[in-house]
Amino acid sequence: MDKNFKIIVFVKQVPDTDDIKWTENNTIQREGLDSVMNPYDLSALQYAVEIKKYRKKNAKIIVATMGPPQAKDVLKEALALGADEAYLLSDKKFSGADTLATAYTLSQFVKTIHPDFDMIVCGQQAVDGDTAQTPSSMAEKLGIAQITSCKSIEELADEYITAIKDTRDFVSTIKAKLPVLITIDAQGTYLQPRINDYIRAQDTEISMLSASEICADTAKTGFSGSPTYVKRAYRAMKERKHTEAGENYIQLIKEEMDRAKSCEGMND
Amino acid sequence: MTKILVFVQTDENGAIKASEEIVSYCVNNFQSAEINAAAIVQHEQLEAVRNSLSNAGLNNLYLLINDSLFSTEIYSGILSEFLQENGHDVFLISATPLGRELAPRIASRLDIGLTADCTEIGIDENNMLLATRPTYGGKLMATILSKTFPQFATVRPGALKYTKCHPEKNTNIIEKYPEIDSSKLLSEVISFQKKNVQNTDWTTSDIIIAGGRGLGSKENFELIYKLCELTGAKPAASRCAVELGWAEPSIQVGQTGFSVSPKLYIAFGISGAMQHLVGIENADRIIAVNTDKNAPIMQSSDIAVTADAVETLKTLISDS
Repeated sequence: MDKNFKIIVFVKQVPDTDDIKWTENNTIQREGLDSVMNPYDLSALQYAVEIKKYRKKNAKIIVATMGPPQAKDVLKEALALGADEAYLLSDKKFSGADTLATAYTLSQFVKTIHPDFDMIVCGQQAVDGDTAQTPSSMAEKLGIAQITSCKSIEELADEYITAIKDTRDFVSTIKAKLPVLITIDAQGTYLQPRINDYIRAQDTEISMLSASEICADTAKTGFSGSPTYVKRAYRAMKERKHTEAGENYIQLIKEEMDRAKSCEGMND
Repeated sequence: MTKILVFVQTDENGAIKASEEIVSYCVNNFQSAEINAAAIVQHEQLEAVRNSLSNAGLNNLYLLINDSLFSTEIYSGILSEFLQENGHDVFLISATPLGRELAPRIASRLDIGLTADCTEIGIDENNMLLATRPTYGGKLMATILSKTFPQFATVRPGALKYTKCHPEKNTNIIEKYPEIDSSKLLSEVISFQKKNVQNTDWTTSDIIIAGGRGLGSKENFELIYKLCELTGAKPAASRCAVELGWAEPSIQVGQTGFSVSPKLYIAFGISGAMQHLVGIENADRIIAVNTDKNAPIMQSSDIAVTADAVETLKTLISDS
């Protein structure tokens, strides 16, 4: 029998950034913050499901996340939405990871558990950090090609992929050897699990993996493997004078516009 | 002495604006540092790139000549090798789509830290790069340091102020022909088409007039264009207005759009979500026009006008 076409989808559990509350010290209150699947990852998962449905019927979708035990929730969600297998990379030595340490950890999972993968699909970025760095960093660690901002696949053969990459600045067509990593920008998602999918998800076991089980050098994972650190965090935005315009606001706006054009008093 | 390297992205006109901003900011603000730039340049662009950077106040300009279309694989290979041969303390790339996919591959290959999409940069007394960026959808600013060298960051286009003036320096121009083993390549760029909406000069124009959801319709949004036409201002839009199809993404302001730094920013019918506000922080003055006195943008403006945005636009147009 032919080998399955193995697609790995990485997902991330992120705080619901629409629901952020502040502490008195202008830091984010983390307790009680709702967690959701990163919306970009949902698009990535949907993309993998579409590949399985239309292009590679023998595909097996493997979903994985790195996080604390409660990150199981996003894996259950992914299983209900169409993933076949799920892995939770969970170890105290993984916590505090920046993008480099995260990319290393995820690449160790791929190398040790699914070295025969064909494709990795990731969301373009995560809404909590917006760095968009982990996928490219991981592709480099795995020594594979990447197609970020992948808009559509022209051809998916056994040995290569041809796809359209569409960014804000340019569009390009890339032909890359498999295995490959692609990233997906947020797009409308329509995946809706049915009752049966939920039951299947509940019945599917999630494999927990520690650092030693993915042969990870713990000097390269988590806090100790992260070169970057936050020195200071503060609430955005500087204070502005904030005066309220009165009745003659039309005149005021015009005066401000004239002043901006003439350059006066604008040098502070 | 701190050695800073800026990777300059180029096109047929020479260095792109976003890269010029970083160079200009560094030469003006880190005057005791050695500031170098490296560009990967196609033969036909060589002259334009040389012209655009030979008087930019740089110490050394490295022109790495290579005719291939932009390929993450090729470019990250060339730059990683360059950095290994030419040690630097700080390495900066502009956070264009191209820069943002290139940088993580280089950082991963060299096993160094990388800070994404900074909006402020500084160098502290220990020669450490202070890279500040918005996070949590723009709600929090974080200043990030890296323990590895070169200290590496991508910088958001439009975030650093560009100044034409800079210290005069004799720039050494060094041409190199990096070698690529094409038999090892994993990918091939079959076509590359630049989008022509990428003129970002508008982000630094004197006056920017922006519209948001409060305008109510695409027709009303046209009033923004009309007023701009009459006054010489540049139009902009909130994310909402773009998502509603009233304006093009090329004029979107905010965390996922462009950062702007006009002398005057006038927001019509924009509520002022945090992700919008981070994009206008560098405006000298902000006027907000909104019917909702308590909209977040009113608190973050210099002048708050509690009035109907559409009516105000119409009056300004008829008066102009």
